[in-house]
Parts: sequence; C-alpha cells; structure tokens
Amino acid sequence: MVRPTEFKITRTTTETGVTLSITGELDLSTVAVLAESVGRLGGDGKQLTLDLSELSFMDSTGLRLLIELDQQARREAWKLVLIRPRHETAAAVLQATGADSALPFEDPTDR
Amino acid sequence: MASTLAEFIIDRAYSAVVSMDEQGLVTAWNPSAEATFGHKRDQVIGRPVAEVIVPERLRAAHVEGFRRFLASGEGRVLDRLLEMTALRADGTEFPVELTISALRDGAGWSFHAFMRDVSERKEAEREHDRLVAELHRALRGSERRFEAIVGSLGDAVTIRDREHRFLYANPAAIAHLGFSSWEELRDTTPAAIMEDFLVFAEDGREIRMADIPSVRILRGEPAEPLLIRTVNRHNGAQRWNLLKAAPLLDEDGEVEATIMIIEEVTERKRVELQGIFLAEASALLASSLDYEQTLRNVAELAVPEVADWCAVDLVDEDGDRVSVAVAHVDPARLDLAKELRSYEPERLDPRQGLGLVFRTGQSLLYPEIPDDLLVEGAVDERHLELLRAVGFRSALVVPVRLGDRILGALTLVSSDSGRVLDEFDRKLAEQVAARAAVAIENSRLYSQRSSIARTLQQSLLPERLPEIPGYELASVYLPAMEGSLVGGDFYDVWSVGDSWMMIIGDVTGKGVDAAAMTALVRHTMRTASEFLTSPAELLARVDATLKQRPSLSVCTALCLRLQDDRATIAVGGHPLPLYVTEQRVSAVGEHGPLLGAFAEVSWQDIAVELQAGGTLVAYTDGITDAVGGTGTRFGFERLCDALDGVGDRSAAEVIGRLSEALAKFQTGAHADDTAAIAIHRVAAAAAAEANASEADSHASNGQNHDRRLAGARHGQTN
Repeated sequence: MVRPTEFKITRTTTETGVTLSITGELDLSTVAVLAESVGRLGGDGKQLTLDLSELSFMDSTGLRLLIELDQQARREAWKLVLIRPRHETAAAVLQATGADSALPFEDPTDR
Repeated sequence: MASTLAEFIIDRAYSAVVSMDEQGLVTAWNPSAEATFGHKRDQVIGRPVAEVIVPERLRAAHVEGFRRFLASGEGRVLDRLLEMTALRADGTEFPVELTISALRDGAGWSFHAFMRDVSERKEAEREHDRLVAELHRALRGSERRFEAIVGSLGDAVTIRDREHRFLYANPAAIAHLGFSSWEELRDTTPAAIMEDFLVFAEDGREIRMADIPSVRILRGEPAEPLLIRTVNRHNGAQRWNLLKAAPLLDEDGEVEATIMIIEEVTERKRVELQGIFLAEASALLASSLDYEQTLRNVAELAVPEVADWCAVDLVDEDGDRVSVAVAHVDPARLDLAKELRSYEPERLDPRQGLGLVFRTGQSLLYPEIPDDLLVEGAVDERHLELLRAVGFRSALVVPVRLGDRILGALTLVSSDSGRVLDEFDRKLAEQVAARAAVAIENSRLYSQRSSIARTLQQSLLPERLPEIPGYELASVYLPAMEGSLVGGDFYDVWSVGDSWMMIIGDVTGKGVDAAAMTALVRHTMRTASEFLTSPAELLARVDATLKQRPSLSVCTALCLRLQDDRATIAVGGHPLPLYVTEQRVSAVGEHGPLLGAFAEVSWQDIAVELQAGGTLVAYTDGITDAVGGTGTRFGFERLCDALDGVGDRSAAEVIGRLSEALAKFQTGAHADDTAAIAIHRVAAAAAAEANASEADSHASNGQNHDRRLAGARHGQTN
C-alpha cells in the first residue's frame, strides 16, 4: 500500500541513552515494528527517548504501545521520554485521549 | 557418346568423368577431368588411360587387373567406392576417390570412371593423425605424468581438433558422454553426441552447439565457463555440468585444438537449488493463513523447478480426496491435467497411487512409467488417451503429514522435460510436504481461533436496536477483514427508568481477550447504570474495572444518556460524536482520557439539546482511519462532507450515506473494525413537544464546536 510517508525508525545512542526517531504512520501495520525495535534494545539503557516529532499519524494500537512502554518503564525503573508530534493529526490523538498529559511528553527542540 | 543428353550431363558433372574402350584407350574426358588432371580433352582422346593418369609405379598392376577382367569378366574394382593414387599432367601424384562401371554393347566393353580429387581431405586427415601422434607423444612419451593425472581425473577432459573431432578423452569423459570405449567415442560426430541430450543453460534457454565454450574458442570468441543442465533423451537422467575450455596453440599462435574440462556439479547444484526452492516454498507457506491459496502458490513454484506438473490433494474428514491445486509447466496443457484429474475418483483405491499414500503415509516414487501401468490405471478409453497425451515419464507422490495424521499429498509428474524423478527429488518433495503440513495446521488452528473470537465479539452486539419514542436509531458494523488480529468495536443501547443509555467503544486488544474485555465493559456499564445516571461517572467505573485486570486493558468509549430532547455525553479517548442539522455538522462533547490507561483521571458530562430533525452520529476510528487508494486516510473532513446536507433525513439514510462514502473511498478490506450509530430526533415528535421544551439551546450546551474548529482541534481523536 502506498503511504504518504514511509515508516522509518532511526536509532541514535547518546550518553544519556538511546533515541528512536520515528517518521511516518504508527498504526496497526507498523506498531509491531516499533515494538520489536524497542524490545531489541533490552534493558541496558538508562533512558529511552521516542522522538515522535515527525510522526504523521497514530491510531489506538500505537497509543496502546506508548502506554505499555510507560508502565514498563515505571516497573523496571528506567526513564521513558516521548517527544510530541508536530503533525496535527498525530498530536490530536494524544490530546483527545489524555495521553498527552498522562505520558512523559516533552516538546520537540527547535531545529 | 550415345546421346546428347548424356553428353550434356557429363560435361557439367562435378566429378571427373573418364571413359575407355576395350583397348584401354581414352574415349571420353569431361571438363572436370581437364581441371583435375591438367590434360586437355584433345590431348588424351585415343591415348592409353594407364599412361595418362596412372603413376608409373602402379601401371603394371593396373594393366594386369584390366587384362584379368577381360579374360574372366570379373572385376574386383567395379561398382564400388575406391581410393587410388592418380597422376597429374605435371607429374605430381594425388589421391582420388572413384567408382568404375563396365558396360558391354555391340562394340564390346566400355569402362566409365567417376573421380574426385580428395587431396584436401586427405591433408586434413594427415594433420589430424599428426596431432594425435604428437599428443600421444606428449602424453605417453616424455610426459607420462600428464596421462597419469588426466586419465585418473574424476572430471571429464576432452581435447578436440578444429573440426571438433576428438583427439583425446580421458576415461571419465568417455563414461560421462555415455560411451563404453574410446574408439566408439572417437567415431561419433559431436553433433550426434549432442543429439542424445536436451541441453539447457541455467536460465532455462536451450543451448546449441555454437554456445559450447570449445566451439566459441574456435570462432575466436572468449569462452567463459558455461553451466549447463543436460537431460539424457534415452534414460531421462539429469545432470548439471560446468564446461570450461582453453585453446591449445601451435607454434604460430593459431588455435590448433581445444581442451575442455567437464566438471559434473549435479549434486552441488541440486543442493543449491533445493536450498533456494525450500526457502521460497517456506516463505510462501508462511506468507498467508489462507492455506488453499498458499498450496496453489507452492504448486506453481514446483513447476518447472521440480517437475512438469504438480498437484495438491487434501484428505477430508471422511478420508476422501479434495483436489486443491494443479499447476502445469505449460499453461496450455493445464486443461488436460485438470480433465485428467476429473477421472480420478474421490474414493481412492487404497492399493495404489494416491490412495496407497493416504493409507500408508509413505511416499511413492515411480522413476519410469511403462505404458501397461497407464492401461491398468485407466478407467476408460478417453482416460487412457489423456494419460498417454500427458506423456508421463515418472511420478512421485509424497504425503503431507503431521505426525501420524495424513492431511493430503503432493503429486509431482515429469513429462515434457524428459527427466526422471529420483531419490533426490523425493527428499526435496518430502521437505516441502513437511512445511506444507505445518502451514495447513497453523492455518486451521488460526481460523478456528479467529472465528471463535470473531463470533464472540459479534455476539456482544445487540441483535437489533430498541425503539425509543420520538427517536429513530440506525447502526452499521463492518468487521475487520478475516484474519486481522485487531478489532473490538462494540455498541449497546438500553433503557434505564425514563431514560436511554447508549455506549459505543473500541477495545484495543486481540481475539478472545478483546471479546472478554468487551463483555466486561458492557456488563459494567449496564450494571452501574442502574444506580449511576452520569455518563462521566459510568466511564470512571469502567476505567476502575479495567485497571483491575492483570494485563493492560485499555478501551475508548463514548457514553450517552438520552432523556427527552437532551443528550448527556461523556467521552473517554473516543472520537467526539457529530451533531448533524440542516445547517451544519459539528462535533459535540469534550475529550476525556482513554479508559483503563492513566492514573488520577476524570471525565466530564456535556449536555446537548437535540433539535427536531437533528441527528447525532457516534462512530469509531475505523471510519476516520480507513485507508484509501493513495494511502491517505478517510479523516474527519471527508466524514463531515459525507454528512453535510443530509438535513432532516432518517437515521438509516444518514448511516447509508456514510457507508456509501466510506466504501467509495476505501481500497481493500477493513483493516480495523468500523462502527457507527445514528440517533435521529424525528420532526413529528419534536413538534409535539415544541411547547414543552425550549429548543433554542445551542448556546446553553456551550460545548458545540463548529466544524472548522473541530476539524482542527478534535478532528482525529484516536
């Protein structure tokens, strides 16, 4: 299926931990890819940042994954940081579901 | 000569024609004879033949033979092909090939010889002999080691001259080419050897003599090693050979001969191909849970890699055959194959073929299929005709089994390709069958499980919506495509005292677990609605219940309480409902958090006054998330456009309009469940209550969002 933006995960490692930058659409066809990428990191990181600033779309399955990661981070005592999507459609889902305030979201830094 | 016609022919004959009389004198001498011997006709007519063309050292024998013939009438030289040495006008000698005929008439005996100069051919033969002698000197003389090494080499080594004739072949080459002795091979032309085989390149194209590396070298072309597949026309054996050739140069740097090494790589190549085939087959088998389609794909893959046609049969509960797939290398003959299969009874003979395999679970290999086996197996004349037309060479039937359970069988048949199926093919087919068995079982288990979950989920939807005085209700529910692991939309409408409750939601989860959650949410809602009237409080109750579940259980929900012309709405992580009037489409309500997800959260009740003719449309994100042709989503704007201007229509018409727009936009099946419910306040009832309630209350509910605003701020909820 043709997608407006290709789903892509870019991994960068910094002193504080690992950042996964996600572009494209996070929905039921791509959510497993992200779950696997996160799973593969193992528990060694002190901090995991999911940069969603370039995410163009997210559905309920994507949201569910974020909630699961948040609960996992609390349980295993590591830090999860989520970067807010710039795209209206993805941001609206987070606001409408209360995830924006309940999950550890931060604004994207200006480029 | 007797006739002008004979003269005409003789004058133009390619052969030299020389006639003589009883005295041995020349009587005829055609132009070819002039060219061959260098004597003009006038110079030789009437002279003794022996003097003109027989070398002096051979003349006595010639004259003696001639005399003996005249005396006895018996000639050993007449009417057969002879080879002799002849003399030219310039005194040089040369080899001729000739036939001599004798004719007796009134004037006595006359003799007619047809001769050809064969010095060029003789020269080539001498050259060949010289090369052979040289080579043998090289091999057997000072360098015996060469013979020792090459002779005992497992690879076939041949050396050929410029005319492709064999100068040397080691024992491996002799055996490889299917000969029992060097002499037999030497006396067979290369073309004749080639005719015994069907020869193909790796990509399947046919290889001709001109493509063989040694022949290319002789044409002065570079000769890369060539991998060929050969099928012996006589015994059907298939082989893979790697041909490598190099030129042998003479002192002047000219190609004198070519040496070719034929490395048999059959085993290696087949293992490689088997690996590729199995990898492809495994990927195909794992690609889909629709096992019938999957098996058809595997059958297609098997031709022409493994066989010329491939059929897949499964066994049903009664042990009968169910044909699933037939693939043929030549699509034009697929009809033939299919017609043939129609002759095979569903109830199989347990003593042979498929029936035997089904019974014993052991594979069967028929390397050769003799005609009497076809006659024996044929049901009637037409069947036999078809069996013969297919041209069975060999066949292989392999069970598709899971432990002791026989699920079906793969049948592989070799026909047009001429190759025989062997033990190697049997092993390959058995491995494919083992993978197919797992795929079939997985798919059966999956479809059972998925249909249980699906049935459960759908059983949780109300069979029909209740009738609410003054209102009209309609709904649509489009389940996610079969095999999808997501889905879990639900809705419900019930009465509590003098009011009506409606809930629509979406549990994010899989299969049976999602169904269990749906049941839990609905049950909680119905029970709690007996003592709680606030939709916001009802959502809080559901939220608390979900949080008690051991695994993460989240759910979106929109809860609505309908009393007279007033709707009270609370939304938890769900798209806001749309309020549709003749004037506009607007989202109403206030977003609240997802249920079961977050700590310390609360929901808000928003009251909405419903005008006569107005319709509330609640929906799940399956509608806005639906994907269209260019990968775009249906989205909030399209949803509003679809509902724009529906005005005072019935609930069913509103839902119809919405479904139609969605169907037009969407490509493929629904990835997710899709549900919508419309609540329409009918105009007649509204008119009756016009005095009782002031319907001028858009300002009072205060939470209406105009469509533009809603699109921007609340367009895509979840």
